[in-house]
Amino acid sequence: MPREPIKLPQRVESLSVLAADGRIDADLEPALDPADLRRLYRTMLASRRLDERALALQRQGRLGTYGPSRGQEAASLGVAYALGKDDWLVPTFRETAGLLWRGWPMQTWLLYWGGFEAGNVPPAGVHDLPIAVPIASQCQYGMGVAWGCKLRGEGRVCATFCGDGGTSEGDFHEALNFAGVYNLPLVTVIQNNHWAISIPRSRQTASQTLAQKALAYGMDGVQVDGNDILAMIVATREAVEKARTGGGPTLIEAVTYRMSMHTTADDPKKYRTEDEVKAWEPRDPLLRFRAYLHKKGLLDESTAGALDAEIAAEIDQAVRQYEQYRQDPAEFLRHMYAELTPELQAQQAELQAYLERKHAPTPAPVP
Amino acid sequence: MFDFKLPDLGEGVHEGQIVHVLVKEGDALAEYQPMLEIETDKAAVEIPSPKAGTVAKIHVQAGQTVKVGHVLITIDDSAVGVGPPPKAAVQPAAAPTAAPARPAATVLTSSAVAPPPVRAAAPPVPPSAPPAKDGPVPAAPAVRKLARERGVDISAVPGSGPGGRILREDVERFSAGEQVARTATAGPVLPPAGGELPDFSQYGPVRREPVPQIRKTIARQMTRAWLNVPRVTHGDVADVTDLERNRQNFNAALEPGQAKLTITAIVTKAVAVALRDFPVLNCSFDAATEEVVYKDYVHLGIAVDTPRGLVVPVLRDADKKSLPQIAADLHAIAEKARTVKFEIADLRGATFSITNVGALGGKFFTPMVNFPEVGILGLGRAKLEPAVYEGHVVPRMMLPLALSFDHRVVDGAVAARFVSAVIRSLENPLRLISLA
Repeated sequence: MPREPIKLPQRVESLSVLAADGRIDADLEPALDPADLRRLYRTMLASRRLDERALALQRQGRLGTYGPSRGQEAASLGVAYALGKDDWLVPTFRETAGLLWRGWPMQTWLLYWGGFEAGNVPPAGVHDLPIAVPIASQCQYGMGVAWGCKLRGEGRVCATFCGDGGTSEGDFHEALNFAGVYNLPLVTVIQNNHWAISIPRSRQTASQTLAQKALAYGMDGVQVDGNDILAMIVATREAVEKARTGGGPTLIEAVTYRMSMHTTADDPKKYRTEDEVKAWEPRDPLLRFRAYLHKKGLLDESTAGALDAEIAAEIDQAVRQYEQYRQDPAEFLRHMYAELTPELQAQQAELQAYLERKHAPTPAPVP
Repeated sequence: MFDFKLPDLGEGVHEGQIVHVLVKEGDALAEYQPMLEIETDKAAVEIPSPKAGTVAKIHVQAGQTVKVGHVLITIDDSAVGVGPPPKAAVQPAAAPTAAPARPAATVLTSSAVAPPPVRAAAPPVPPSAPPAKDGPVPAAPAVRKLARERGVDISAVPGSGPGGRILREDVERFSAGEQVARTATAGPVLPPAGGELPDFSQYGPVRREPVPQIRKTIARQMTRAWLNVPRVTHGDVADVTDLERNRQNFNAALEPGQAKLTITAIVTKAVAVALRDFPVLNCSFDAATEEVVYKDYVHLGIAVDTPRGLVVPVLRDADKKSLPQIAADLHAIAEKARTVKFEIADLRGATFSITNVGALGGKFFTPMVNFPEVGILGLGRAKLEPAVYEGHVVPRMMLPLALSFDHRVVDGAVAARFVSAVIRSLENPLRLISLA
């Protein structure tokens, strides 16, 4: 009757390819097409600039409450890159870079944050679910999609996201448990940005890592430097390949940091120190990736400058399109059910009557 | 010129304090250049300029508290060439004309509206079109639901919350008021009876008109009375020949300003006095508890035909008032009802009602008991009829009376005795006087 450690078939590893100081692990460095590398950088930069613009627009009253993704670009971008075009991506609201890579137009993304239903519509041919804010709900959606992929035998894979806070939700447990039991082609990515609004990672769970939670569900877990785009690509590629070939689900913990506020409705200065934020600045995924491309000779100052101007113009254009978008206010009830429930019908009639009473369009205020 | 107003900075933030003003009047301003730092109870935030231009006027200073919508800075954005070049070429031709020209997103985020980037294309606002004041009724969904459940038109409820918001208590208070009012005029809601109507247009042209509130109220109350009250009508005729002669004489001798004595006033007095002897006609039946609620007061509802429809104002303590007083009061409340100057309180609390259609003709009819009252006396037209009087057929002034009553509490014999008592008063003016 001996007492001995239990040997688990699953592994929990940590992975880093491109260190914050620019050193690279040559054995692990993925062989990526230079054109892809440039596109990845461009997408990451566009995501950063769009994020900054969205924040400004919210401050000006031109956008709704906004949750910035500054500092977390690599985590979603690496995952999106490693997915095939026919695979699925089920995002939370901090996967901007990944969505841009997948082909979501900036104006669609802006429409989402402006509160328009049209912001939920993925572009044609993109197999993504719309942005979902409710914590860890994405885990369930993603698991369901993966299950569907498996039942259909399509050889497609689903990647989904949640935050470190999301791992404390029942949804996370249920989704991962199902994924494990049914051996689903699912890659669950935890964006561990260290803060669940004002709750620090240390108060979220007593687990040493979030990746180790994988063991409980009978799947492999990997803790990846989430600010290292190359490591994210390597980890996700392996997980996607395994899922596609029937190897089942993987849990990826992307260790990153939320450089900005949770959303525009809170002030991080009230619960975390400036020093903590500063300590993460050198680990910024964009800086790190830029240095890597410089070193590889794929990016120089002049191309970087041109890129900046190009992206700024692209964002200007998207903002204009967003601000010119009009929607029939009665539309907003039409998307929850295929057929409106009697209650919604009554509400729609009430709204319609009000709009008619209020007669046609309100003229623009003249400042 | 563009007035930058404090936008809605986050969930539930209505005001902020200016921490720093980062620009000076006359400064050139680039789009997205920080202009102000503002601290709200949620966060200190930098406000970037939505426009390129020049700072024309700064309306605020550090330390000042500003509310959402407050004009902070006026930007002169007329000069071209400052900041990003105008992108007129890429403006879609479909710049809104009839459509609202402001970015729709601002409608969602803020009442302080950031201007559209294509403001030049905005249609001029005709001075005759001020912003519509009738915004949506401010009430939370739960409050709206409560109003629907109670059959209360939420737009009629006065709001006591911030900014006139309608609170749960407002609906409850209003609803309670309406309930009482309805017991005088109309009734609480029942689902519309009768179900779907056929398509009448197959038989000929039709038009539909929404009914005014008063008609809705009457319809509900009548349906309620019809469904709840097992009604019987007892008919009789009073010989008011002598009374009428006396009445004419009385009125002829009135001093200017005194209210004329009417048949209604006299019947009101007679009924009020009779009700003291017949408390069972001055009660309500509580079906839930199977109790009779006797009322130690006599407030008479007087049905008044108004241009808008039937209204039943209440004459209070009719049994304690003299005949001239009743005549004066009736005149006043009928006038109030016709000119729509009555208040809800004027329609509340009747214990029994009187309705006189005599002026319009008619003999017998079946008045509708004004639930939850249990009796209503209807007067037909008093006219000369051949009658047997002291053994001879002679013309007499006859007043038809129709008492409808709730047979759950009032039996036919009681009703007959009650009407007889009223008739005795009417046929014997001296008795009427002695009762006062």
